[in-house]
Amino acid sequence: MVREMAKEMDKEFITRGVRRCSTPRFLLWLAPWVAMLLFGAYSAGLCLVKGLNQTNMDNRYAFGLWIFVDLTIIALGAGAFFTGFLLYILKFKELRAVINSAVVIGLVCYSGAMAALMVDVGQPLRAWFTFWYPNVHSMLTEVTFCISCYLTVLLIEYLPIVLKNRKLRDIPSFLVFEFEMHKLIYVLAGVGTFLSFFHQGSLGGLYGVLRGRPFAFREGFFVWPSTFFLFIISAAAVGPSFLIFTTWIVEKITGKRLVKDRVFTLLARISGILLSVYVLAKTVDTLIWINRTSPALGFTASQYYDWKPFGTWILFVEIVLCGLVPALILLTPRLRSRRAWLIPAAALACCGVALNRYVQTVQTLALPTLSFDKFLSYTPSWQEVGTFLGVLAYGVLVYSFSFRYFQIFPQERELRNEVRPQHEEEPVLAGRF
Amino acid sequence: MLPWNYGFHFGAATYIFMGAFYTVLLVVSITVLNALWRTRRGLREGKVEDIRWHSDFHDLSAADRSCRHVLTGEFASRECPHAFDCRECKTHAKLIAVHPPVHAAVSPDADEAELFGMSFPLDRMYHRGHTWARPEADGTMTVGLDDLGARLLGTPDSVELPEPGSRVQVSGTAFRLHKREADVRVLSPVDGEVVETGGVDRGFYLRVKPLSGTIDMRHLLCDSEVKPWLMRELERLQLALSMEGASVPSLADGGVPVSDIAAAYPRTNWDAVCGEMFLEP
Repeated sequence: MVREMAKEMDKEFITRGVRRCSTPRFLLWLAPWVAMLLFGAYSAGLCLVKGLNQTNMDNRYAFGLWIFVDLTIIALGAGAFFTGFLLYILKFKELRAVINSAVVIGLVCYSGAMAALMVDVGQPLRAWFTFWYPNVHSMLTEVTFCISCYLTVLLIEYLPIVLKNRKLRDIPSFLVFEFEMHKLIYVLAGVGTFLSFFHQGSLGGLYGVLRGRPFAFREGFFVWPSTFFLFIISAAAVGPSFLIFTTWIVEKITGKRLVKDRVFTLLARISGILLSVYVLAKTVDTLIWINRTSPALGFTASQYYDWKPFGTWILFVEIVLCGLVPALILLTPRLRSRRAWLIPAAALACCGVALNRYVQTVQTLALPTLSFDKFLSYTPSWQEVGTFLGVLAYGVLVYSFSFRYFQIFPQERELRNEVRPQHEEEPVLAGRF
Repeated sequence: MLPWNYGFHFGAATYIFMGAFYTVLLVVSITVLNALWRTRRGLREGKVEDIRWHSDFHDLSAADRSCRHVLTGEFASRECPHAFDCRECKTHAKLIAVHPPVHAAVSPDADEAELFGMSFPLDRMYHRGHTWARPEADGTMTVGLDDLGARLLGTPDSVELPEPGSRVQVSGTAFRLHKREADVRVLSPVDGEVVETGGVDRGFYLRVKPLSGTIDMRHLLCDSEVKPWLMRELERLQLALSMEGASVPSLADGGVPVSDIAAAYPRTNWDAVCGEMFLEP
């Protein structure tokens, strides 16, 4: 009797008509992630209380694992703003099937990045200084403002998803607020797009303006270096790919079909088009950098790749293997319609953007720029790794709760007993490409 | 960047950046405040039930939102743009003017019309949430559960009826029924004030007095529309049962639904089946 009660403890909160595992099984799934989160909290606590001497970063190697993780997850979380833009502004109605998932992923990515940044910057009690006494000469100021604003927008966008919970919508004020908020969501989608464009760009611009770091320095347009634009395009390109990848992972873990194949295909097509634009732009940028920007600063490009392990292979992997190859797969209708091609392509695209952010942060700082400089190596301390794992666990936990109690995939119910078709027609809306 | 900040000076970049930043803050704040203000207004004006239905309607699958004129074959496909409130629909008005529903081709006796082995008398009009409304001689309307709805729930475990004097509105909650794990919100077919409550044994659940003296029933199904709608509902029931993993045995001609369908499927998630059939996703 007690066992039966425990099994169905939270049943009233679960969306009608969808199947979820029993409460004890869900708790079992959560247990390792909660343990990881606690470990992360302890690691972060050590860094906050004792200071950054708990990390392996120093004045010379000021960007480490955290900044790499921040930049990567903010790029991957771009699916939230880009899907919102496509759905609410450009009216790609097919994407309604994944918009809630995109919002949750965006929220997790941005709040996780903010948490890691808080630990990195330190002095959390003085966090408000950033807004009250901003450094007028720092691009980081724009990044901080934009990310804070966009996180607020994401929280507001997440609210209707929470309030649509079966039990919560029984409360009249929640029901009405969710309904009214949903009617205005296109405004937030527009604001989110505006903010995302700018902070993705500013994050790239941060490195592009480093004149003292010829490896990262880029010329550009007006005050914006080329990395400003490359970061925007790459984030918009991999956002849909990350959405494909995470949806596939959730499908595999839960053993359920969650979205129609045509939605995957549409996301793949959008990602493929943007990724090919990015690869083209990145190639042109790299050629200009090799032939003009870097020599003008006194370095031949080959000098950067003399330091192992950062050989030219890294350039090949970033642009060809994790850029051109997935772009071609995602652009080929016959290949993208098959999961065996689609998922590795989406994963490769995500790895590509992660590698790009790694190169921008870690490789940039490792390379010597002055004659007396040495090649630096850096291994994150366990406290840094712990904090990163904490952010990861936080993301999994928020997504797990959201998936269990909120309607993350509206097509889940109608797809429950449907057999996957061998070939499904591509959505008509995608015809605009 | 801020006037109280050290090194602050006005410049084009300051104006652009601060302008953009404060515009964003302003837009977000106005949006949230607007939503809160609309919420307050909605609650004050008693729009909760209307909003609940519109929200539910939005979540129905496209097939379940189909226009009544799709059922009768006048359209190949069309989603209802008015949440089943045909009183607002100009297309419906035009179509009804050209092809009014034919009265009772199904049975010579309009009061005892039998459709697919179930009783669907044609002296009343049907809501797509499986309720009916029948005009009475004293100007009131009786509201009840149609035969398919009644068979879906069998004998309910409990019934929650509104107090006499309370108001109901079209597609708002008329009453609630509980059967096993199913908690069913039954939709009202009419607007009005509840003057009397009935129950399972009395053949009706509510007696409703129209607020404006007359009741507009253009949104309800009647006469020749009932049969094709019911046919679609039986298909939906089969689909809902199969989605819940229940095998759906039927005779070659489809057979007749048993009087207590819930009892025939003791292991099926009846909450999900009822949610599907009573339009509460």
